[in-house]
Order: sequence, then C-alpha cells, then structure tokens
Amino acid sequence: MGEVDGIRSPAVVLAASRGRRENLVGVAGLFYRVLLPASPIILVLGFGFFVPTVLSLENIINIIQQTAFLFVLTGAQTIVLLTRGLDLSLGPSVSMISVGSALTMTVVLGTNGASGAVAALAGTAAGLLLGFLVGLFNGVVVAWLRVNPFVATLASMNICLGIGTSLSDGHPVFGIPEEFNVVGYRMHVLGIPMSIVYAIAVGVALHILLQYTVVGRSFYVLGSNPRAAIVAGWPRRRLLAVAYILSALLTAVGALILTARAASGAPNLGGGLSLQTIAAAVIGGVSLTGGRGGLSSAIIGSFFITILSNGMNLAEIDGYTQMLVMGAIVIFAVALDRIGRMEV
Amino acid sequence: MITATMHRQPILERLSARLGVVGLIPFLLVLIVIGMSLFEPRFYGLSNVFNILRNTSFLAIMACGQMLVMIVGGMDLSVGAAAALTSVVAAKVMAGATEGLGVDPGLAVALGVGISLASAGAVGLLNGLCSALLRVPSLIVTLGTLSIVSGVTLIMTSGIPVYGLPQGFITGFGRALWWGLPAPVYVAVAMVAAVWLVQRKTVLGTHIYAIGGNPLAALVSGIPATFYIVLTFVLCALLAGVTGLLITAQMGSGQTNLGGDRLMLLSIAAAVIGGTSLRGGIGRAEIVGLSALFLSTLTNALNLLRIDSKKELVVLGLVVVVAVAIDSLGRGKAAVE
Repeated sequence: MGEVDGIRSPAVVLAASRGRRENLVGVAGLFYRVLLPASPIILVLGFGFFVPTVLSLENIINIIQQTAFLFVLTGAQTIVLLTRGLDLSLGPSVSMISVGSALTMTVVLGTNGASGAVAALAGTAAGLLLGFLVGLFNGVVVAWLRVNPFVATLASMNICLGIGTSLSDGHPVFGIPEEFNVVGYRMHVLGIPMSIVYAIAVGVALHILLQYTVVGRSFYVLGSNPRAAIVAGWPRRRLLAVAYILSALLTAVGALILTARAASGAPNLGGGLSLQTIAAAVIGGVSLTGGRGGLSSAIIGSFFITILSNGMNLAEIDGYTQMLVMGAIVIFAVALDRIGRMEV
Repeated sequence: MITATMHRQPILERLSARLGVVGLIPFLLVLIVIGMSLFEPRFYGLSNVFNILRNTSFLAIMACGQMLVMIVGGMDLSVGAAAALTSVVAAKVMAGATEGLGVDPGLAVALGVGISLASAGAVGLLNGLCSALLRVPSLIVTLGTLSIVSGVTLIMTSGIPVYGLPQGFITGFGRALWWGLPAPVYVAVAMVAAVWLVQRKTVLGTHIYAIGGNPLAALVSGIPATFYIVLTFVLCALLAGVTGLLITAQMGSGQTNLGGDRLMLLSIAAAVIGGTSLRGGIGRAEIVGLSALFLSTLTNALNLLRIDSKKELVVLGLVVVVAVAIDSLGRGKAAVE
C-alpha cells in the first residue's frame, strides 16, 4: 500500500518499499521493544504523578484484581487471534454464561433442596457446557462452513445476546449460593484473592498450552501460514475448531469468576468485553493477521487497559472523555506496534 | 486432505455454487412477502410498507458505504457513530442558526447539512489516514474512532436529544411523501445508483476493485492505493452521514444514539449477505441494496409476528451465518487459504 510514482518494475518497487520499512524497524522497533513491556508501569507512574492515590497499596491491589478478570478473557481472545481468527461473541457469551449458570444454581437450590455446594457445582458445569456450545458453534461455522471468523462470531454474538437477555427477561438473577461466591471470588489462598489465584492458574495453563503442546503450537501455524498446515496434512479444521472451543471454555471460566464477583447472573456483564479484549490483546502485541502473541501479550495488554481506565477514574475524568481517550490510545498503540514491526 | 474434504461435501457445495447467496435473496424475499401477506394483513398495509421502505433506505445507504470499504479489504465499525455525530451536529447547527441567529430556515438546513456532512467526512478521513498510512488494521482503527466519535458526540450533548430543527426539514423532508413514496426512498435510490455508477463506469470504481482484489498488482501498476483507500473511508463515512441526516429528519431531533450498534451491525450484515467479500475485491451496490431490503423486511416480519427484539437477534445471527456459509461453500476450495 505504499506510494508509487510512475510505473516501475515489481522487483524495484518491492525492494524500495522494503528498504524504507527496514529503516523504520531499526529506530521505532527498538523504541517499541523497550516501550511495550514497560508501558503499564510507565502508565501507573504517569497517573501517580498527577493523582497520588493511584500509587496507594489498596489501589495497586485493586488494579491487579481488576486485571485478573480482563486477563482471563484476553487469554481466551488471544487463542483465537493466533489462528488469524477473532471472537466478537466473547462479551455476549460472558453475559449468557453468567445468566445461564446463575439460573441453573437457583433452580437446583430450589427444587431439590440440594446443598449450596451441589448447586454451585451444577452451575459451574452448566456455565462450562454453555461455553463449550458457543465454542463448538463458532468452530464449526468457521472451520467447516468456511465463514469468515468476523462474520461467524458477529452472528454468534447476536445469538448469545438474544439468548442471554431472554433467559431471564433481561433481569439479573439473584439467589446464587454463598459457596459459589466464596470459592469464586471472596476467598483468599495464602492471603491472595481468589481472582488472582484463578488468573495465575489460567496463565500457567495457557502458557503450557501455547508453548509445550502440539495443539497449541499448531495455532501459531494456522495463523501465520495456513497453507503450510494444509500441505503438512494436518487436520486443519479440527484444530481450528479446538481453538474456538478452548477459547470459549476459557471465556466460561472468566464469566464464572465475574458472576461470583457480582454475586448474581448479570445479562449485561459482558457488555463491551469483546472489543476490549481485542484491544488489550492487540496492544499487548498480538497480531490480527495471526501467529504472533501469547501469555505475555495478554498480561501486558490487560494491565494496560485496566490501568488506563483505573487512572482516568481516579483522575475524575468523565466517562465520555474516557471513551475518547481510550479510542485514541488504542489506535496510537497499534500504530506504534505496526511501525515498530513493519512487515511486508 | 483437500481432496478428501472435497469428496465429502460435493452435493452441498454444488448446490450452493448453483444458487449462490445472491440468487437466494430474492427468492427468500418473495417467500417472506407471500407468507406474511397470507397470515398477517397488517404486513401489506400502506403504513407498514412505508415503514419497511424507510428502514431499507436508511440501511441501504449505510451498507453501500460499508461495502466500498470492504472492497478495499477494510471494515468500518464507526459508521453508527459517524451517523450519530452527523445527526447531533446537524441538529445543533440548524437549531442554533434558526433560533439563535434568526437565519432563514432554508439556509439553516443547508448549513446544517453541509457542516454535519463535513464532520462525518472528517471521521472518514481519520479512519482512512490511520488505516492506509499508519497501516493499523481498519478493524482496530474504526474501533478506536467508534469510541472517540461516540465520546465527542456525548460530550457535545450529554446524551440529551437536540431539538429545535426547522419544521420544514421534518415535515417537508424526513416524514414527507414525495409522489406517493417516503422522501428517504428517493435519496436511497439516488445514492445506491450513484455508487453503482461509480463502480461500473468510472476509473475510480475499477481502481477500488483492483486494490481490494490484488493489492500487489494495484501497487505495481501505479495505482495510488493510499489515496483510494482514504477516499473509500471518506465516502463510507459520508454515506453513513446521509443515513444519519435522514433518521434525524424523520425523528425530528438530533440523537446521540441512533439505534446503538445495531445499525452498524446491520450494515455489515447487509453488505456481507449482499455478497461482498471480507477479503476485498468483490461487492456490488445494487445487490447490497437488495439485501438491505431483505433484512428490513425480515426484521419487520419478525416484529409483526411479535417475536421480541431479543429473539430477533438470534434469527438475524442465524440468517447471516447461513447466507455467508452458502456463499463461501459455493466458492469451493478458494476459501481454504
């Protein structure tokens, strides 16, 4: 997409444009390699300079806890992004899973007179099952029906939105057993809040999946060089479907933790999470064209987004201006990434 | 692997190759019209037909813009926000000019339309420059501008509708019937025809197809791709702005939230169901217009059947998947890439 003046031979054009880009890689690339991992810290210090409360211990813990939720969901989004896919249904499926699992819990509690622990287990199972179904739908539509992931998940986004709001007529579902809320959110292990414990567990699992398993490694190839996957004779469609299912199961985990935090099934829990997780992943260095990213990008990106909104809240910047700033930062961060890694 | 899968689904693929999504839409449209007319007399009532036509007009214009961006391989998530910005700016300028400055209503409308479309154009320019020059994926750029523009619109109005539009703009245009049809229909037909003409008869149209179809070939043959990409984003935002103006004129006030993200999603759905390829290079205005008519009729039918808006989403989602699946299965192994 570079500019060309007059007609030149293809080789000359390509060589010229490549040369120009390599220069950019030199300066901006270095800048970027240093800046990216440090960006959340720079952001915290920057906000802390203007609003000292940002740096208070409670707020730091608050930030880490907030990030835990976004991190789990960004991890889910990352799995799909690696395969050159995209999941727009993530947010609405969080809402749907939240309402569905909460309803299951209240029903089990009510009819059978079962204990809270049984109800909590049933709700968790129902949530994971719903997640599996969303992933299966997305996977089948993308892999076998060959629908572009954007369109496929745009459709499942609408479907999840429709089901999520009609399950409970758009009302929040209360009456979740205490056991679920305690194990899901309020408990501490060795003084560490549960949400952070879950985030660490998810992080370890994600890292092992993406780095040390054949299936996980194959996601990178599916994204960066799909033709190679075909030529190598891999079950490309099955792998792609597995990516969507794993991603949706992880989304279900995130939805369950969020439900425990809210102590209710909330039909608007997911809200803008689809786009927020995409933004977080991309800011963290995941490529929309697949094959690049992993655990670190999910951590950096989710911290970045959380700190940004936390800092703006404490700086008492109003919600409308926050939208404006968030949009500009997303574009700016990705532009920096692109210039830093300029590829042909 | 490739041959194995091709042998496994020959009937499905052959069927969809023959029908194609484009061939299916008129068929489904006729089916809905016949079915609804038999079971629901309100469906063919004049007011309902006008209602469908109005919604089709709003959607068709926006979807044509969306299609242009998709042809160059992009995507515009900010169309809804651009329409809302246009709506608010137009209402503010018109109200300010007539009530504050005492300008003649006709001039106020002209000023409002001009300034608001310019603001929409600025959104498109921002989208285009960031996508083409900074090489940020358009999905992310327009996600960013969606947030930015919505923020600006909300700051301007605090989310409160802007009243005080000249009456002539509402009764003489937005809610008016011209020669027996709602005025927006004429605007929509003109816009779709204009985009069709540009696509078919002008160098601009050919170059836009070339950039999306084979970017490298376009680059090598000296087409200023950057310029054309920016231009398509500007055109898309302007068309979204026209939709915003039409809705403003019908509602009688400037709205910060023209149906939320619904309009944006529908515009993408209409473009995609209308056979526009998300990988660029393919898309025809007249078919996108037809699929806008199909989607508007479908949602209207669902409303009349008292299927509430939540379940309507489920149906819309399934329709999009089925339509696109038929399309991509029909294209056979080209989709495996």
